Amino acid sequence: MDFAAVHTGFVIGAYGLSLVLLAGLAIYILARDRMLRAEMERRREQP
Amino acid sequence: MQYLANPNRFASLANAALPYIWAVTVALLIIGLYGALVTAPADYQQGETVRIMYVHVPAAWMALVVYTAMALASAMAIIFRHPLADAAAKVAAPIGAVFCFLALVTGSLWGKPIWNTWWVWDARLTSMFVLFLLYVGYMAVWQAIDEPHRAAMIARVVALVGFVNVPIVKFSVDWWNSLHQPASVFRLGGPAIAPSMLWPLLVMGLAYAFLFLALQLVAMRSEIAARKLRQIRIADIGDR
Repeated sequence: MDFAAVHTGFVIGAYGLSLVLLAGLAIYILARDRMLRAEMERRREQP
Repeated sequence: MQYLANPNRFASLANAALPYIWAVTVALLIIGLYGALVTAPADYQQGETVRIMYVHVPAAWMALVVYTAMALASAMAIIFRHPLADAAAKVAAPIGAVFCFLALVTGSLWGKPIWNTWWVWDARLTSMFVLFLLYVGYMAVWQAIDEPHRAAMIARVVALVGFVNVPIVKFSVDWWNSLHQPASVFRLGGPAIAPSMLWPLLVMGLAYAFLFLALQLVAMRSEIAARKLRQIRIADIGDR
């Protein structure tokens, strides 16, 4: 890829936004999963 | 499919499959991005801007595929009363909405340098925007209604009625005059893209599909846990 070409900012913007949104979505889903499974474990350990 | 109706069986299968699905996703993303940013040539007309295609087109494909999966899951919930079908559709919606949003915004980022405009209300762009609104509406139903069975019934109707828009998005470029280019990969007569550009596009499409599969399985596992916790909390209130 030629970073000196015209309109390269649009390409970087598209890839950057895709990375941020998809990584953000993955982190949110994984964090929610971890939180819910931890709460399930806590409930199981309770008498 | 009925084999997976047991939530515990589904969760243990998802736990076993997820490491492999994540590994394939990461490998496909690395190969796809290498192809898209390094080996694929610049277009003779669009120049480097053509590289937006490798994130825009897979996002658009997945926006359509995920909504189709939601409609199928909703139909299964109605016809077979599959216990996990509503959960599958519910957790797929935010993932599909992100893909749809990405397709709209990356398309806009491509449109400005090539069409000299961020947005036009032509058939393809408008139907894609309607698809995004359908995703938002579907999620709003689950958020707005507290009683899960009632929310599920209304959400199924939204998913199935909204599915009418999926073929409209796909064929809008054939049915109406559109600024958007016609289908160039999935079309009669085979792909119209050079192989050096086609393979990174297909690999990125596959990477997005595996990413969806991984996120969907994790989100369904979470939804199963959330349902169990809700039942436990209700039982706790009943005991008091």
